Amino acid sequence: MHNSQLFWTTFGRPSYNMYKTIVNCELKAGVFMDYILQGFKEAINLIMTFDPEVFEIVLISLFVSMTATILASFFIIPLGVYLGINKFRGKRMVSRIIYTSMSIPTVIVGLLVAIILSRRGPLGYLDLMYTPKAMIIAQTLLLIPLVLGLTYSLAKNRGLNIARVAFTLGGSKFDSTVLIIKELKVDIMVNVATAFSRAISEVGAVMIVGGNIKGHTRVITTTISMMNSMGDYPMAIALGIILLIISFLINSFIYSYGQED
Amino acid sequence: MKLDLIDINKAYGEKTVLDIPQMTIEEGKITGIAGPNGSGKSTLLNIISHIDDTYNGKVKYNGMDFSRDIAKNITYVFQKPYLFRRSVYDNILYPLKLRKLDKKTQENLVKDIMKRLEIENLSNKRGHQLSGGESQKVALARALVFKPHLLLLDEPTSNIDSESVKVMEREIVRFNKEREGTVLIVTHNLDQAQRICDTTIYLDSGRVSN
Repeated sequence: MHNSQLFWTTFGRPSYNMYKTIVNCELKAGVFMDYILQGFKEAINLIMTFDPEVFEIVLISLFVSMTATILASFFIIPLGVYLGINKFRGKRMVSRIIYTSMSIPTVIVGLLVAIILSRRGPLGYLDLMYTPKAMIIAQTLLLIPLVLGLTYSLAKNRGLNIARVAFTLGGSKFDSTVLIIKELKVDIMVNVATAFSRAISEVGAVMIVGGNIKGHTRVITTTISMMNSMGDYPMAIALGIILLIISFLINSFIYSYGQED
Repeated sequence: MKLDLIDINKAYGEKTVLDIPQMTIEEGKITGIAGPNGSGKSTLLNIISHIDDTYNGKVKYNGMDFSRDIAKNITYVFQKPYLFRRSVYDNILYPLKLRKLDKKTQENLVKDIMKRLEIENLSNKRGHQLSGGESQKVALARALVFKPHLLLLDEPTSNIDSESVKVMEREIVRFNKEREGTVLIVTHNLDQAQRICDTTIYLDSGRVSN
């Protein structure tokens, strides 16, 4: 039975305006489904044919976001654990600052980095603007508060017990920090994956400092944004699907690792 | 290790949870700490182990203030011990690794303590997958393996079977006799206190009671 017929039998005969609305909704839903299906087909086609442009975009995206995630995690995870398990003056204020900066808008970070790296900015002489390095810097700065906040919260809630045991077995603060990272490695990996997801899915900062230059600084999100403004929805959906596949693969890996542990 | 507690006072806001003007724990003795729930027994161990350093008064360890060297010779087995997410063998090995002993000595010490506490069969099991009684034994093994001078135990044999209690008590006494180690044990079990303790201190509402 057709949807509109089902509506008729359930709710009685609709008025002309109601009928028009239902038909419009059905048409729009049809167009939407067409876009999605076309996007799927195009995504499979682009992946199977190893479309060089798509692969270049995906590789630049992965390179920029992975580098930023590694840089943001390397020193910040031990710092987050250290701050989480130790008492110090002003800890409450530090907590508030960390948690507030976790939600900093990506465009603000992009804007700040752009001001610093622009020709007239303090680091303008490095000539980094509109390069992948500038994008990595922006994403690293964006991820630092996120990684710090998540690790800090984890260490505060679950690390104190571990730190106590390390201390009563003769460990130093450094030993406690190392032990906590080892003990909570699955949770920390989930935090790192969250940070990576934020990096690869953000568009504001990379658009401002990268400039979306084809073959150089064009990443998945800036391409989707551009395709949307050009009305090329199937290609945008195809890239969106590739983005989801990357997220799915990362989460599957972490999940299976967590299960093993 | 001889302990002198001088004017110890611990309060949460207005509520005083521990108030000990003077107390001495003799070296090489097993001292029991008994008392009802909330009488300050665990707080006392937390203060002595320096896990809690927010108190008034002084604790002297062989006449000296707390330091990193002293910390390395004190250990504490909690009522609900935390075992690492690694094998039982690696759990017991951890304090020896911290002390950077050579591999052969580490292996011998771990095997010896596992044999004494009759937990060799648990060697490859993961620490966080053990039952309560097994965890208590492994935690005691991990505490005894590096031969500390002061052993703090917070109800180490609660909720475990009588055979395991016997084994644990035997090893606590052996540690005390062979190493002349000082033991401070919180217990609700007065029979246990009579069995293994040289002296017993009764705490009530944070104060030593007669």
